[in-house]
Amino acid sequence: MSVPLLLLIVLALGLAGFFAGRMRALSVAGGDLRNLHSLPGFYGWSVAILASAPAILVMVIWIAVQPIVIDRSVSAMIPETAISDGSTRDLVMADVRRIAEGLDQAVAAGALTPDGASNIRAGLSDVRGRLAEVGVALGANVSSESLRAAQSYRSGLAAGRLGMTAVVLALALGGLGYGLARITPRFRARNTVELAVRMGLILCSMIAIATTVGIVLSMVFETVNFFGQYPWQDFFFGIEWSPNFRGNSSLGVLPLLWGTMYVSAIALSVAVPVGLFSAIYLSEYAGPKFRAVVKPAIEVLAGIPTIVYGLFALITVGPLLRDYIAQPLGLGDSGSSVMTAGLVMGVMIIPFVSSLSDDIINAVPQSLRDGSLALGATNSETIRQVILPAALPGIVGAVLLAASRAIGETMIVVLGAGAAARMSLNPFEAMTTMTVKIVSQLTGDTDFAAPETLVAFALGLTLFVITLALNIVALWIVRTYREQYE
Amino acid sequence: MNDMRLMERSAMTNDVKISASQVQVFYGESHAIKDVNVDILDKTVTAFIGPSGCGKSTFLRCLNRMNDTIDICRVEGRITLDGEDIYDREVDPVQLRARVGMVFQKPNPFPKSIYDNVAYGPKIHGQVRSRDELDEVVEKSLRRAALWDEVKDRLSAPGTGLSGGQQQRLCIARAVATSPEVLLMDEPCSALDPIATAQVEELIDELREQFSVVIVTHSMQQAARVSQRTAFFHLGNLVEYGETGQIFTNPGDPRTESYITGRIG
Repeated sequence: MSVPLLLLIVLALGLAGFFAGRMRALSVAGGDLRNLHSLPGFYGWSVAILASAPAILVMVIWIAVQPIVIDRSVSAMIPETAISDGSTRDLVMADVRRIAEGLDQAVAAGALTPDGASNIRAGLSDVRGRLAEVGVALGANVSSESLRAAQSYRSGLAAGRLGMTAVVLALALGGLGYGLARITPRFRARNTVELAVRMGLILCSMIAIATTVGIVLSMVFETVNFFGQYPWQDFFFGIEWSPNFRGNSSLGVLPLLWGTMYVSAIALSVAVPVGLFSAIYLSEYAGPKFRAVVKPAIEVLAGIPTIVYGLFALITVGPLLRDYIAQPLGLGDSGSSVMTAGLVMGVMIIPFVSSLSDDIINAVPQSLRDGSLALGATNSETIRQVILPAALPGIVGAVLLAASRAIGETMIVVLGAGAAARMSLNPFEAMTTMTVKIVSQLTGDTDFAAPETLVAFALGLTLFVITLALNIVALWIVRTYREQYE
Repeated sequence: MNDMRLMERSAMTNDVKISASQVQVFYGESHAIKDVNVDILDKTVTAFIGPSGCGKSTFLRCLNRMNDTIDICRVEGRITLDGEDIYDREVDPVQLRARVGMVFQKPNPFPKSIYDNVAYGPKIHGQVRSRDELDEVVEKSLRRAALWDEVKDRLSAPGTGLSGGQQQRLCIARAVATSPEVLLMDEPCSALDPIATAQVEELIDELREQFSVVIVTHSMQQAARVSQRTAFFHLGNLVEYGETGQIFTNPGDPRTESYITGRIG
C-alpha cells in the first residue's frame, strides 16, 4: 500500500474515531451531559488522537529508518571483488538501486511478469537490454552480484512496505479500539487531550532545535572534510585568497573576514545612530499623526529586496562616491568599494534598529517618565538618563539583529563592493566578504571533493561561530548592564 | 477618630504658599475642574479628599504643570507660587518642577541604584559641586525619608529591588533631594500595606517642618491623621476647604457631610 493512501486511511480512522468516541460518550452518559467528566467533543478527540497519532509517528520513523536498514544489508551482499578499480561501493550501490527500480518499472510497463522479474538471471538474459526497452538506461552490463543485490533490495523494499502497512494499520485500529474502550463517564478526556496538545507543542519546538543542530552538523562534517585536505593554519591565518581549481590554491580566510567586518562596521555606523535617533524622535517627541505616517514609511525600507539595494549601490552610490570623493581625494577609481556597500547596507538595516528600538522605548513605563519630569528633568535628560538605560537590553538586541543581517548580506556586497578578496584600509577600494565567496565557490561546475568547493562550508561554519559569539557577547552585555524595570 | 485631638491641631503658619483662583481644567471637551479657588499654606499638610474622578489628582498635577505632558489637557485661571504666576510664559516648567516636587501613586523608582535614584535630581540641577557634597545630600535625603538605616549598606543595589514601602520612601527621598518648597503626593499610600502606610504617614508629618505638603488621598482616616487643612472635591468642584478638624467634625456643606459619613463616594 502506498504511503499517501496509508496516511489517508489512518486519518479516516481518526475521523471515524472522533465521531464514534463522541457518540459513545453520549451513550455512556445516558443522555445527560452532566454525568460526563468532559464535553463529548473531548472524548471524540481523545479517540481520534489515539487512533492516528501513534500510527503516523511510527510511519514517519519507519520511512526514515527503512532505507538505512535495507541499504546496509544489501551492501553487505556485495563482495569487495565485485567493486572494480576506480569505482566505489557507493557507485555500485547506486547501480543496484537503479537495477531494482528498472525491474519495478519493467513490471509496471508489462515487459516482465512479476515472477519473471524475480527470477531473471544475469547470465541467461540480457538484463541491460530489457531494461533499456522500458526506458531505464544502465551504464554497464549487469553483473550477477549486482543483480542478486538488486533482487534482495527489491524483496527488502516489498517486505518493508508490507510490514509498515500491517504495523501502521494495526496501531491505528488498536488505538481506535482502545480509545473507545476506555470511554467511561469518569474518564478525564479533557486532560488527556490537553496532554496530547502539549506533546504536539513540544514536538514543534523540538523541530526548530533539531534543524539548527542538523545545519551545524552538516557544516561540521564538510568542514572536517575540508580540513582533511587543507591545513587549518593556512585557512585561519592565511592572508591570501586565490582559489584555483587546478589545485595549489591559497584559501586564507583573513581577507574575507576583514572585508566582512569592514563592510558591517560601516553599515552599523550608519544604521545605529540614524536608527536609534529616529526611534527616539518617533517615540518621545513626534505627534501621533507624524508617527503614523513615518513609522510605516521607514519600515518599507526593510521590505525592499536586497538585490534592488544592490542595483542602487551599483549604478548610483558607487559612481557618485567615486566621482565626488574617491577620485578628488586620490583614494582610488573603483566604482565598487567597501564604502558603497557599507552605506547602502546601512540604509537597509536602519528599520531593524529604528523599528525595534521604537517599540522598546515605548515599552518603558510612563511612570518612569513622569517620575523624572516631576523632578524637574527636561525631556532630553529623561531620555538620556532614564529611558535609554532602561531600554538598553532591547536596543542592544535590535543592534545585534541588524549586525547579523549585515554580516550575512550578500547581494549588496556583490554589486556594491565587488568580488576581489583584498585586505586594505582604504574604504574606497573593492573588497569582498565571506558570504560572497561562499556563493562563488559553490556556483557553476563544482567538484564536491575539492578543497576549493569544501572551503565554502568552512567559511559558513566560521560565519556561524562569529555570529554566535556576537550573540553571547551581547547577552553578557545585556545581563551586566541592564537596568530592570517591572 | 479622636475629635479632641483633631480640634487641637492647627496650622503652624498662615503664609500662603500656593494660591489658585478660578482654575478651570479641560480634557478635550470635558470640563474636569470648575472654578477652583484655594490657598495652600506654607509648612502645612493639606489633604485633597473626594470620590474617584472628582478631579483632585488633576488639580494636584496643575500645581507643578505635570498636565503639560498630556496633549489634550488645557488649564485656565491663575495659580501662583509665592505670588508668581506659574502658568506665565516666563516660567520654565522644568524649573518649576524642581521647586514643586511630586510623589506618585505607584512607587516608580528608576531602574538605577538606590544612590543614583536619590542623586538624580541634585545632579541634573547642578546643586552639588563635589562627590562628597552629593554623598551628603543623598544621606540627608534618605535619612529624612526614614530609609537610611535600611539601605545604608547597599546603596549600590538597584532601587527596584526594595519592597513596596521602601520604594515609596525612596521616591520621597528622591523628591526631597532636590530641596523643593512644595511636595505634592498623589495617593502615596494606595499601593502600600498598613505598616508601610504608617511609616509614610509619620514621614509626612515630619516633612511638614520644611515643606508645604499637598496630599491626595482616598482614605478619610488618612486625611484626618496627617493633614492640618482639608479640601473636599466633588464632581470637579471644590466644595469645602478649611481646617481638617472642622471639616471632619462640623462640615459646612451637606455634600461634605454625606461623603464623610459614607453616604456618597
